[in-house]
Amino acid sequence: MENILEVKNLCKKYDNFELKNVSFSLPKGMIMGFIGENGAGKTTTIKAILDIIKSYSGDIKIFGLNNRIDDDKIKEDIGVVLDDMFFPEILTPNDINNSMKYIYKNWDSKMFYNYLKDFSLLPNKQIKTFSKGMKKKLEIATALSHHPKLLLLDEPTSGLDPIARSEIIDIFQKFIENDECSILLSSHITADLEHIADYITFINNGEIILSKTTNELLDNYGIVKCSEKQFKLIDKKDYIKYRKTKYEYDVLIENKNNFKTKYSIDVIDKLTIDDLMVMMIKGE
Amino acid sequence: MKGFIRKDFAMIKSNLKLLIILFILYAVMGLVGDNDISFLLPFMCVMIMISSFSYDTYNKWDAYSVSFPNGRKNSVKAKYISTILLILIASIITIILSFIISYINLNTINYKQILVTMLGSIFGTLLVLTVMYPIIYKFGIEKARIIILVITFGLIFIGGFILSFLDFNLANILSFLEKYLIIILVIGMIIMVYVSYKISENIFLKKDFD
Repeated sequence: MENILEVKNLCKKYDNFELKNVSFSLPKGMIMGFIGENGAGKTTTIKAILDIIKSYSGDIKIFGLNNRIDDDKIKEDIGVVLDDMFFPEILTPNDINNSMKYIYKNWDSKMFYNYLKDFSLLPNKQIKTFSKGMKKKLEIATALSHHPKLLLLDEPTSGLDPIARSEIIDIFQKFIENDECSILLSSHITADLEHIADYITFINNGEIILSKTTNELLDNYGIVKCSEKQFKLIDKKDYIKYRKTKYEYDVLIENKNNFKTKYSIDVIDKLTIDDLMVMMIKGE
Repeated sequence: MKGFIRKDFAMIKSNLKLLIILFILYAVMGLVGDNDISFLLPFMCVMIMISSFSYDTYNKWDAYSVSFPNGRKNSVKAKYISTILLILIASIITIILSFIISYINLNTINYKQILVTMLGSIFGTLLVLTVMYPIIYKFGIEKARIIILVITFGLIFIGGFILSFLDFNLANILSFLEKYLIIILVIGMIIMVYVSYKISENIFLKKDFD
């Protein structure tokens, strides 16, 4: 499978934080959910991919091209929603359209205005009059309207109500339908990711601790709830992390089927991405 | 780059009213009294453009613009071109107004004086721009405001101090300037703006938007 985005050994050092050898790849036609705590390095990684931060080491390839050498060519085909960066808020959607049609060769005004209509955004209102959710919708419309092949989305659904979220998620799903386009999407709303993400990449403290297909995670991983006595019988190499709760032990395991055969524990909860995050970060 | 210029002009739309008021004020003051505020008009253009940096900063436009094709280069280039375009448009309108005022007041048009006044004003305005923009790109608009204040007062203070000690023959310098004034101003402006632009571009191309 051809990769649309490859990040290799990305390192960036700050005084109080460090990205350590971040590596992952995103194949064509796929959506990757990029998860991690606040401050884990998601935004920094996305900024490095876009060259918004410059002083990093490592190798980033987009569409098979080096992100620094072929910067301009690559960016014609990337759409972005960045957490808190956008057009100045005294501008209107009309102004955005008037600028963007000269910024991107493939800018599609018709598509942009269609999105505005779908999202009920008035084209002649200043951005500052929009609610948080409306602003997000406008950012998404702006990111999509030049027919990009790769979407880099940092928290694109934050501030949206469930209905708007499902609307946006449908748009993302349609976006990858032609098998040519991909999305890297960071989100705290992990239920959304379970629906649409083909891959989950988990960053913690500047390090990638897991990058797998969502199916592999949700089908094979599980959480065993057991007593202390039962827990002590479990071989260390058969679990990834455990947490002691008030009444029982929660144990994160990697292979449900093997576990079931080896130990006579039948109650294995289906994993959610939220559970996974909590176990990986808080577990021992 | 055209897209970036359009964005800059869209941002100052609301300020254009202020410029129009100034034009009217200038015309009225020129006709009724004998006050010439034409030198103020190009200067206002730079101030208006500088105010656009605050909006850019507030919404982190600079970092966002890096995600566009040629974003880093075009962002800076467009800011310079937008500002100069605005100054030129304002200057042309001012010159036309000046011609009209001069004709009404004196029944003749004092071409030379009007043009030299405007040229001097544009020169001064560009001087502000060329110093200010690299500082804004390097330190951000908030710090730049303070830095430029310090520089201005520093220059006035040091300049006054040096002048009080050195006994310049000002008349000689002025007569020399008068002879070559226009050429010196025009060449000076082009060099200043180019150097300033290159410095700003260099700063912006290397900038980390953490």
